[in-house]
Amino acid sequence: MNFKQLAENRHEYAKAWKARTGGQVLGYYDPYFPEELAYAAGMLPVRILARHEPDDVSTKWIYASCYPVRDYVNQFFNGRYGYLDGIVDTGGCEWVYNAFEVAMNTTPSLKTHYIFIPRYPNAPTSPGLVVSELKTMKKVFEEWTGREITDESLDHAIEVYNKNRLLLMRISELRRAYETPLFGSEAMQMLLADQVMDKAEMNAILESFLAELQERPPREDRVRLMIIGSETWDAELEELVESLGANVVIDELDNGTSYFWNTIYEQKDRLLAIALRYLGRPHSALRDNNWRRRSQHVFELAEDYMADGVLIVKQIYCVIHGTDNYAMWKLLRERNIPYHFFERDTSLPEDETRQRLESFINMLKPGLVRLRGWHEPLVI
Amino acid sequence: MLQKGQLWETKPLEYYAKAKELRAKWEKNAENKEIVLGQGNTSFVVDWQQAFPAIMVMEDNPRGSTIAAKNLPEARRFRLASESRGWGREICGYHGVLWGQQFIGYQVDGSPFPERKFVVPIPATCECHTKRGEQCKDFSPVPRWSGDQCVYLGPYDQERDKAMLDHRAWCSWKIINDIERIFGQQFNDEKMKELIKISRAVKPIREEIFKLMTHIPAPLSVKELYSTYVLGGLVKIEMNELLDFWRSVRDEVKWRTENNIAAVGTERYRWMEAHPPAYYFLKYYRYMEKYGAVCIGSQYTNYTFAQLERKPDGSIGDRDYTFVDEYMTPIPQPDGSIHEKVLYHPTFSPEMRIDTREDEIRYLDGASARGSVQHFKQDEIYRPYALNEFADIYKVNGAIMPLHRSGVNCTLTRKEQAMRLRKAGVSVMHYELNQGGDNTDLDEKRMLEQLDQWMESQGLRKLED
Repeated sequence: MNFKQLAENRHEYAKAWKARTGGQVLGYYDPYFPEELAYAAGMLPVRILARHEPDDVSTKWIYASCYPVRDYVNQFFNGRYGYLDGIVDTGGCEWVYNAFEVAMNTTPSLKTHYIFIPRYPNAPTSPGLVVSELKTMKKVFEEWTGREITDESLDHAIEVYNKNRLLLMRISELRRAYETPLFGSEAMQMLLADQVMDKAEMNAILESFLAELQERPPREDRVRLMIIGSETWDAELEELVESLGANVVIDELDNGTSYFWNTIYEQKDRLLAIALRYLGRPHSALRDNNWRRRSQHVFELAEDYMADGVLIVKQIYCVIHGTDNYAMWKLLRERNIPYHFFERDTSLPEDETRQRLESFINMLKPGLVRLRGWHEPLVI
Repeated sequence: MLQKGQLWETKPLEYYAKAKELRAKWEKNAENKEIVLGQGNTSFVVDWQQAFPAIMVMEDNPRGSTIAAKNLPEARRFRLASESRGWGREICGYHGVLWGQQFIGYQVDGSPFPERKFVVPIPATCECHTKRGEQCKDFSPVPRWSGDQCVYLGPYDQERDKAMLDHRAWCSWKIINDIERIFGQQFNDEKMKELIKISRAVKPIREEIFKLMTHIPAPLSVKELYSTYVLGGLVKIEMNELLDFWRSVRDEVKWRTENNIAAVGTERYRWMEAHPPAYYFLKYYRYMEKYGAVCIGSQYTNYTFAQLERKPDGSIGDRDYTFVDEYMTPIPQPDGSIHEKVLYHPTFSPEMRIDTREDEIRYLDGASARGSVQHFKQDEIYRPYALNEFADIYKVNGAIMPLHRSGVNCTLTRKEQAMRLRKAGVSVMHYELNQGGDNTDLDEKRMLEQLDQWMESQGLRKLED
């Protein structure tokens, strides 16, 4: 399966979907956006992703030091997302809010909505608040589409999305094995494609991919790395890691595994069920407050996926991950997990990054002891 | 006798000594061993920490900015101590400066750093505020609580507002109750009610001062405001002392206004700012005075305690939150009554009855989830023309809008705001810096040259030339 192609052709895909179904395409920025509601209203929710392009527009509108956000603005004015009927912001980051606000103020024809997801998700009042927000959003989507969001349509959306999460989780489990048949770049491209495609269609692709994976011969064992930090929009880094003889076996990125890590437990109050899923997902750095959960989640992933080392990859001027770095460094040091920290923007300076990664991987190699033969490839 | 180029009489401020004294007292208090010192902030409306016998909550901003202003080499050292431990350079410099002291173990004066025992970050749309105090929390396992600055766009929505207010009230309730339990200190509800009463008396006084600030010549410039407006805001002082202080400020400012006593005797050009200045380079205020240009403040200073608007008859008064059309949804008060006249107001009516702790907390959180202190970004997000209105009310000719690389919230929507101001005939100059407490990206020489060019482009010349 060529996930890279699917992810790269996302604009063409959305346009074709629109022409084929007559439905509306809804852009969102943040994985806290409860996509099920949009899907139940017959819309196609697509994740707005940055890409590295020359930027000749954004400076006029926005002083964001965060390059992906500048790129959102750039792509917006350059018409890349001209097919979007609406955009929803969930307050995932303030720079993103700025990009949202520019789109809202400059394009009156664009439908826009802001849904508030608490930055303190663990308060007992947070589910009630999100349910209230979902009720408002439901009305808004019904108004936009002229279509009632019924219990049946919500049940269907929940079923499709849960199936998608389950499939992604099953594929992810294969990455735990030594000699995993799946490389990190392919896994990341799969996830990016997943976030821009109709989930029902994607589920069929994932099912056949899962079958294909089971037939794949095991790949050679490599240095196993984990990526944490700011979100990504391509798999260049994973590819670079692979070119150096290592493999990214797991990540804790907002649009990586955190996108599908937990599921919706169905209940009569559908909106509450959705609210609980989004509040209970692995906390993003912004929403990981008070007694931290993120550190523990990162540690568990590192341990479960037998990561030999961690790459902390932060967007330059990403405030949110800037505040979490101290906790991550502290955690990894305390638990003797080697890590390498570096900053990037929409581009990945290849030579510099290659040298840094090569040094890190070479540093890890002598300490690795693989007891070959004591494990068997996982069978699904 | 007026000097050459001077248009207005000027006089040093008398309340300044008291302001300095109060500030020094606040800083000294942090060293009091009897006090349980926390990090963060309580509320801009009522300082609830005073209802505890021995709790003090200290915010990063005033300490961080002061250190940056007074001892830049040490400020850089402290920031480096933070950054070398992973703390991001894109976060408000205040944090880096203050918490660098924690990591190193001593303060700028060489004394041991008083460790914080808990964290209560005041909620704000700003991400740095949301994540505030993580340094203490991650450094040693002290309790930390959160709140939420709830946001939604568009007209007032009763249902959304209610859920948000309930959430906010629970968060505040949790903080106060947990502090009681963990530190064994009884929260004095009667004292809290008294504090609410005093805060109601302080509010109109501060509002009056900021109305007087619209006068030409400006009785205070922003430099004086920066030393004053934090008192009772970020710098917490005893409420009765606070009331007396603000009365004295009001009386002095009123007298200055009545007698045309200017902050800057050469005032012939008024400019506004947007958000914190480069605290380590406040020289530019004096530099602008060479052109007879005075900074009359920003929504960051002036709107902290008073939100004004121009009335249909051209006068300036308190912002009226009575809306028409889609905004016509009355807000029920906790006692079940409905405000007849004021249909949407961020604070409860002064007559609101307060019986229980929940009433107290709900008063603190305000009647609207979107913030009882509607300034800073909340205001600009809901009302895209907020800065244009400010420019009109304070009769400014120009605006200097810093572009901060760090801190996000201070720079959010700034470019668009500048475009709106320019359309309204207000000349705008941007300059880049890292943040008010972090001088990394500020090119001082370039900025002064920019100021010269900006002033000259508007036909102004240095008065001494």
